[in-house]
Amino acid sequence: MSETFFAINDLMRRKLQTGTVVIGLALCVASTLFLLLLGDRIGFHILSVTESVLTPNFAKVFSNFIVFAGFLTFLISTVIIAFMVYVMMAQRIRDIGLMKAIGCPNDLVFGYFMNELVIVAFAGCLLGVFLGLAMDYISINLSNTHPQSQSTVVNFWLALLTFVIYFVLSLIIGAKPVLDTAKVEPSKALSPAYIYGLAKESDFKGSARAGFTVKIAIRSLFRRKSATFRVILCLTAVFLLVTVAVAGGIIAEHTTGNWAERAVGKNLVLLGHRDMCDRYKLLLSRFYRSGESADFNYTDTKYLISDDLLNQMSLMSNVTIDQRLVLEGRIQEVFGYTVDPKLGTRPIGDDRESNSLVIGVEPQKTFSKWIVDGESLGNGESDEAMIGDLLAQKIFSAPLLEKLSYSGQTLKVVGVCLDPINNGNVVYIPLRTLQNAAEINKPNVLLIRIDPSADRLQVLNAIRSKINASTPDFELNELNQELSKAVSFLGNVWSMILLLPFSVLASASLCLIGYVVLSVDEQRQEFGILRAIGMKPNAVVKIVSTQNFMILLSSYAVGLCLGIIATLLVLIPEPLVTDLTIMEITGWLVVVYALIFVISLFPVLRFARKPILEMMRRP
Amino acid sequence: MDTGAPAITAFDLCKIYRIEEGTVEILKNVDFDVEKGGFTVICGASGAGKTTLLNVVGGIDKPTSGRIIVFEEDLGVRDEDFLATFRCNKIGFVFQSYNLVSTLTVAENVAFPMEWLRKPLKEIQERTKILLKLVGLEHRLEHFPHQLSGGEQQRVAFARALANDPPLLLVDEPTGNLDAKTSLKIIEILRSLQKSEKTIVVATHDERILELADQRLVLEDGQLVDMNE
Repeated sequence: MSETFFAINDLMRRKLQTGTVVIGLALCVASTLFLLLLGDRIGFHILSVTESVLTPNFAKVFSNFIVFAGFLTFLISTVIIAFMVYVMMAQRIRDIGLMKAIGCPNDLVFGYFMNELVIVAFAGCLLGVFLGLAMDYISINLSNTHPQSQSTVVNFWLALLTFVIYFVLSLIIGAKPVLDTAKVEPSKALSPAYIYGLAKESDFKGSARAGFTVKIAIRSLFRRKSATFRVILCLTAVFLLVTVAVAGGIIAEHTTGNWAERAVGKNLVLLGHRDMCDRYKLLLSRFYRSGESADFNYTDTKYLISDDLLNQMSLMSNVTIDQRLVLEGRIQEVFGYTVDPKLGTRPIGDDRESNSLVIGVEPQKTFSKWIVDGESLGNGESDEAMIGDLLAQKIFSAPLLEKLSYSGQTLKVVGVCLDPINNGNVVYIPLRTLQNAAEINKPNVLLIRIDPSADRLQVLNAIRSKINASTPDFELNELNQELSKAVSFLGNVWSMILLLPFSVLASASLCLIGYVVLSVDEQRQEFGILRAIGMKPNAVVKIVSTQNFMILLSSYAVGLCLGIIATLLVLIPEPLVTDLTIMEITGWLVVVYALIFVISLFPVLRFARKPILEMMRRP
Repeated sequence: MDTGAPAITAFDLCKIYRIEEGTVEILKNVDFDVEKGGFTVICGASGAGKTTLLNVVGGIDKPTSGRIIVFEEDLGVRDEDFLATFRCNKIGFVFQSYNLVSTLTVAENVAFPMEWLRKPLKEIQERTKILLKLVGLEHRLEHFPHQLSGGEQQRVAFARALANDPPLLLVDEPTGNLDAKTSLKIIEILRSLQKSEKTIVVATHDERILELADQRLVLEDGQLVDMNE
């Protein structure tokens, strides 16, 4: 029989087991490929491509996640592949013993089973590539989170790269268990007492006070310590990834959403000329929708808010206002100095230029509470500026050490803020400074906050009647609509990242099922005995579920702790964790735990229904 | 209440296994009664169907046709949960290959069928010690099965079978895997059990055990060819 024919025959004979390994490997490949394609679209590109959606600091959070999740996925895949090949070979040990007993040399045995590995690895990797491409296609077409400026063309080089890496990795990792089992002595391999990777002679007793179900469960786990250790390691890494994706994803979603809310302002009403309002909303939408926009003359006097209207607004009860002058202009980098311990004082900056939105605000009165690197405006200094993170990335080397020049004025950069407006290509300067520089003494936009205790509708109607009486081209717009679009865009992107652990989780579930199959195989004779002397079928399920519970709990505890530490310390700066966040995370993680626990019971539920004599027979 | 009915009644018992090539008839129209408190030996050549008959009587295998009634319960029509409880209460099984639970110590192997009946811990501990003393292994309480010899494992299996004081003891080839000296110890145990009021059914070739029998069922190719009393 040729080596290939033997391999195909043997794999077909064990359809369930072959299917489990192929699907497990395919899910690992698919997760990695999906991540790479996702990273290719939004994660890595965003850092290098300016004028796109998501400001650099928002994108950095996503990129950190994608890189971290990618690393973990690869790590998990390695462990999963090693474990699956180990289980595959453990279940072939008697065949190997038989082949060697009748004179088959070691190298031929190795050849037979390496051929099986090549076939399984090829099928798994190929299926994984198709699955990964399908996941990517679904994420683009169904989740509606795809950044519109990016191409929808699939990067097939990434698919090829993933295929090759995983195929080679599977062969390298899988060769060791194949080689180990090929070298097992035939007498040992044929012995019913020998199980590959099992320390049959373990004398571990554990707690004497525990019930017999728990005793049998714990001692069996210790007897299979090699397999138990591998599956715990694998599940720990999976739960770490799940925690990072679920907990991190939820915290990041809330946090990034909060960053956007703090910058834009919540429950605000925008007052201005109809065209100006449209323009302001368009600028806010740059965060989630890129594209060219027509020129706009911000300085047109028809957009300016009259003193009369401003006074009327100021005098209204239950209303506070944030006056803004929104302009566009040429910003130039003005070099600063940095002190190098070796080289002394050195100039920093290249006099780069860029067009940017320029907004004048009253620092003490503005509603925006930006997340700022450095300081916010508000020290009463007139020569200060705060810039958006995209502008900082575009034309500054070390923005907090430099200055900027606008309309002949040199302003010190005191902070870099996160703001979705114009996707972070913005400069905030004190209103008076901007008015002096632009020689415009009126604002062109008013943000209005209505006291929450007041009747909002009534107040809005009162404002509308004042506007209609004096300036009919002016209008009121609820900014919450624009804000919710930005926040839901962030939510959608995070939802896509949340998809990721599910494929890895499915793969880990298959791994756990493989372990349970191995464990049930090893214990089947004893379960048969227990049944024969009067134990009910449910007790078999109870023993195996106790084992699964312990394995899951130990890996879950470690994975959860490491995941939360990684999320809070490494991945998200200034995380926002509310009671709701904790409840949401807990809910998801409990669901994940329960789901994988229930899935892991599948092999034993099938086994427990078998007739006693079949149980007692060696597989 | 003793109704005077036999402990075991088999009516026209058949057991057929289906295999790829067709069917194999292991038991063919077997009829017999075993009286309460009797010592019955099932004998016959290898492959005659002794173990299968014992399995059917013990409720761990079901007849293909016919009826098997043990202590007035028709085991062929009962579900697995009922049979499990029935075996735990009424039947002690000693397997040919000892079949101890390798993850439990000697004492635990004997004790755990009692735990299923939720007996008090103190009673379980005391009875375990009594049973292990009965089989001469009171000094091996904390050892694991792999630390015992074959004969010792067989004696633990006897102690476990007696844990819940079942009225019926089914023993499959108790001396089949043992040397002559160790076999004697097992025969001694059987002899001591014969004095109790238990119904004992043993499948064996061993002449020394055959001598203890009140009744012999001789199987040949799945058929009951002789029934000596």
